[in-house]
Amino acid sequence: MEMIQFFIKIWPELYKGLLVSLQLSAGALLLGLAIGLPMALARTYGKGLVKTLATAYIEIIRGTPMIVQLFIIYYGLPDFGILLDRMPAAIIALGINSSAYQAEYFRGAILSIDEGQGLAAQALGMTKSQTIVNIILPQALRLVLPPWSNELIYMVKYTSVAFLIAVPELMARGKMIITQTFKPMETLFWVGAIYVVVLSVIAKAVDIIEKKLAIPGFQMSRED
Amino acid sequence: MGLINDKAFDVLRSIPYLLEGVGITLEITVIALVLGTIAGLFLALCRVYGGSFLHNFAVVYSRIIRSLPLLVIVFMLYFLGSEIINIPAFWAAVLALAMHTSAYQIEIFRGAIQSINKGQMEAALALGMSKYQSIFAVILPQSLRRAIPYWANEATIVLKDSAMAYVLGITELMRRSEYVSARTAQPMLTYIVSGLIYLIMTYAFTKSMAKVESKVRIPGLER
Amino acid sequence: MKGEFLMTEPILRINNLHKKFKDTEVLKGVTLTVNEGEVVVIIGPSGTGKSTLLRCINRLTEPDAGEIYLGEHKIESAKSNLTKVRQRIGMVFQDFNLFNHLTALQNVAIGPIKVKKMNKKDALELAMRELERVGMADKAQNYPAELSGGQKQRVAIARALAMDPEIMLFDEPTSALDPELIGEVLEVMKKLADAGMTMVVVSHEMGFAREAADRIVFLEDGVIAEMGSPEKIFNNPEKERTREFISKIARLHGSDSEMPGTGS
Repeated sequence: MEMIQFFIKIWPELYKGLLVSLQLSAGALLLGLAIGLPMALARTYGKGLVKTLATAYIEIIRGTPMIVQLFIIYYGLPDFGILLDRMPAAIIALGINSSAYQAEYFRGAILSIDEGQGLAAQALGMTKSQTIVNIILPQALRLVLPPWSNELIYMVKYTSVAFLIAVPELMARGKMIITQTFKPMETLFWVGAIYVVVLSVIAKAVDIIEKKLAIPGFQMSRED
Repeated sequence: MGLINDKAFDVLRSIPYLLEGVGITLEITVIALVLGTIAGLFLALCRVYGGSFLHNFAVVYSRIIRSLPLLVIVFMLYFLGSEIINIPAFWAAVLALAMHTSAYQIEIFRGAIQSINKGQMEAALALGMSKYQSIFAVILPQSLRRAIPYWANEATIVLKDSAMAYVLGITELMRRSEYVSARTAQPMLTYIVSGLIYLIMTYAFTKSMAKVESKVRIPGLER
Repeated sequence: MKGEFLMTEPILRINNLHKKFKDTEVLKGVTLTVNEGEVVVIIGPSGTGKSTLLRCINRLTEPDAGEIYLGEHKIESAKSNLTKVRQRIGMVFQDFNLFNHLTALQNVAIGPIKVKKMNKKDALELAMRELERVGMADKAQNYPAELSGGQKQRVAIARALAMDPEIMLFDEPTSALDPELIGEVLEVMKKLADAGMTMVVVSHEMGFAREAADRIVFLEDGVIAEMGSPEKIFNNPEKERTREFISKIARLHGSDSEMPGTGS
């Protein structure tokens, strides 16, 4: 009973934090998509310098902790006269981080499409770019859904690092409530419960979308 | 402004100090990985072969832990420490990382176990092996090999996530980077340096795991 | 034999074609002319460059030396005309290579839509007609994964036909099929041959070769070892190697079996 009353008391504050977390996730995912897909294409189909640069970008981002990336953007960029507010800094850092992982998901999906279909498209007289746009990508984008939805769930969780630069998202609000109420375990229980519920809802929604988009013969089942 | 100025050398002079932090980072990572792998493998076996209680426990555990941000788990264990039993910050971080990774490793090992052809188990049972013998002598030797690349990927995630131990004030690489950044007023250069150190570690680890993978590969068997 | 009346202009001329993969020379100077309306079946032991020869024709594989003419048009790798040339050559693959994300109908329509810029409605109507031609109209809305191998290959043939090609290349069109599904594909090919389509077919289906081919080419070790009418190749080959190969294939495939539904 006490737990419930406590929850009712802190919910408005946590709710505000949740909205910030979701905004962060959405912004980061879209930015990650906008950078990640071209990177995947550059690494898969690019030649020479383009391919090298895309590969280096992806591997450097995937090889370093998100916190380091966040601190470089929030604390480091001002050295170069670029001052970002907390929220945009967090979205950019999370988005860049996500872009490298998304790029690899896309690349994996592209590579998993058998070569024969590309040959068949060329035999019909399609150009390389027509083949990519009409044959490869429509399939790759479907195949990428399961790993992509895992990335979505990862992203919602990882927005909590934005708390380290004092973005008032769910984790940060929880931490503030802890200092005000001195009830760390109760607060963390409810913060955790919100993450669990929100992520379950997202997972379910993604499931439904995947079923809607399913094509016979495509492996659409998500590990889980 | 920029990376090259007289203060830059202060950062470079701090590299030995940062490298001491690498020792702690590696300590956290390795202990968390060992604990997480043991728990993950055990729970994966529970999930695939266990009775309904063990199976359900593994499912619920994996579900919940994978829904919690690492930071939430870190703080839970840390504050649990301050309230009930005293868990030092170092161990709160290690245990949180271990719990977090164990949930992902359940899924890795489960996938690897279930990817082994059903006929293998049937053949083992038909030879008169017990279920345990079949699992340990036939299924696991194949599925563990198959799990290596996924496990290696998870291990680098643990290494990178160990930077979150920073929030508890443990003087691992990330926390030391912050000190250096504050002292030298060179955040950009400092974090690039620590980023490079992380990059070298993840790269070296990934390379060596690829070596391990090819060393234990079963001749002629395609993945 | 219809060919004797129809043979007119050469439509495809292959001149001294060479191709090497790493250190292995797969084609060692192949010269071959295919006339309009002619059906040429290429046979030969595996690894002797039959598929490579086909793929060189529409430049899916780049030959090292030699020329290929389609009509008066020299086929070169210059990208500008390559897609144009490929539109004039239909190709059917061993493993179908249907586009997995498209229905049977869409698979057939996508070439006309994207490559020929035909409007969608016309393209779909055309695709439907082509599917009818191969007896697949009732599966128009099915995805490749829902079709049997034989059905997939028939859709693949329709896909190539929809581009209104001047010549069709078949790269072992039945070797990935279960035996009971081979007949339906050969039947479609036979109908196509009877309708006067120029075809170059790599296949070991001796029944088909005997009935539909105007000419049989025996390719071995990267050169044309022998070439002639089915009559000659099957009954009176000049070379001992050709005879050996034919009898080996006959044993393996149990073939002198006739084509289903065509009897002779």
